[in-house]
Amino acid sequence: MTTAQAASTEARILHILSQLTTLPPERIRPQDRLVEDLGLDSVTRLELISMLVEEFDMDVELEDAVAVDDVAGIFAMAHERLGDA
Amino acid sequence: MGRDVLVLGSNGFIGLHAVDGLRAVGIEPRCGRRARSNILGLRSRKAQMVRADLDAPDTLRTAMAGCGTVLHIAGHYPRTSHDPEGSVALGLRQLDAALDAAAAAGVRRFIYVSSTATVAPAPGGGPADESCVFAECPDFGTYHRLKWAMEQRVAAETRMETATVCPAGCLGPGDLRVGTSALVLALVAGGDPPHPDGVVSLVDVRDVGVALGRLCVAETLPPRLLLSGGSHRLQPLLERIADRYGVAPPSSPLPAAEAVARADAAERKALATGRRPTMSREIVDLIIHGVPIDASRAARLLDLRWTPLDRTIDDLVAWARRMRLLPPAPSSPTASPSVPLQESRP
Repeated sequence: MTTAQAASTEARILHILSQLTTLPPERIRPQDRLVEDLGLDSVTRLELISMLVEEFDMDVELEDAVAVDDVAGIFAMAHERLGDA
Repeated sequence: MGRDVLVLGSNGFIGLHAVDGLRAVGIEPRCGRRARSNILGLRSRKAQMVRADLDAPDTLRTAMAGCGTVLHIAGHYPRTSHDPEGSVALGLRQLDAALDAAAAAGVRRFIYVSSTATVAPAPGGGPADESCVFAECPDFGTYHRLKWAMEQRVAAETRMETATVCPAGCLGPGDLRVGTSALVLALVAGGDPPHPDGVVSLVDVRDVGVALGRLCVAETLPPRLLLSGGSHRLQPLLERIADRYGVAPPSSPLPAAEAVARADAAERKALATGRRPTMSREIVDLIIHGVPIDASRAARLLDLRWTPLDRTIDDLVAWARRMRLLPPAPSSPTASPSVPLQESRP
């Protein structure tokens, strides 16, 4: 997979995060923590992963979903499953 | 009977176990879901999903087309108790949408999952059974009012056969919203959650899933069915859980009025901050108004074997560790099988 594909994946993730947080995508940084910085609660965090699962048609186990703490972790999870890392 | 089953609320705590229960009796259900919801559990089960939103009646009619049975586990669950009238109105509007769509689709059976909040004390003071219903809306709090009003609406339905199932407080793996489990997990995590005392009835969520699956294929529907693995006094139960897990015992229970006041204050604060209340009025009401429950009718009708509470809570704790709701073992305590939990029955 190419860098362009990886960037496209991240842009789509930021778009979904923007929907959930009402923050503009450009304000969301990889180091932002989902709970502490973006204000998601445990339920919304799982909704986010669920939306990504549908958006990218990928499979994520619940245990893996709850292990993701920040935006960079979401990027890494998506890249790994989509093979564009 | 009713081999085509639509499950509303299939992605929730009870819903996912109901899907498992339906599969156990050979039914592959249609799993209703809203546009935005956590469907990780359904997806991992490779379940057949359909859009079914109680606020979008068109989606309900489409989802119910050709279904013989609707299993409704998506009744309104208010996050706080601050707006009783609004909560009841919303709950009834959504329930009416589901009932109307079911009638329009020719659904023959409508099974509604309610709560033991609607179970009134038995006249003689013993365990309450299916006949124990509040003649008038109980004035305890929003949750009780809502569940009573919704159950009355289902009981008045004449266009199809209906049943109302009242599960006790559900415990077990999968409680991602940490509802009934909150007190147990807070205690095992080493906290000292404030609580009143009273009678709590509990049931393993997996038993509820089994029961709902079997009910969907039962020859006849009982109008009302209670599901409970056992009733307990909360304070001795919490003390035994603390003992079993080797954590500090809980403080003495709060007087009922103080617990209500503190829960109301916590919910007001939660509304202001958008965060989850640290103490839930619904849980407080359920504890202080709880009655012992006799669920033997369900056990007989559906050939149920209630999972022992020890196993339910051990499995809940193990799951919570995997979900990072508790610190992983061995940094947090493990269960001591020498402290059984059944002894806290009232």
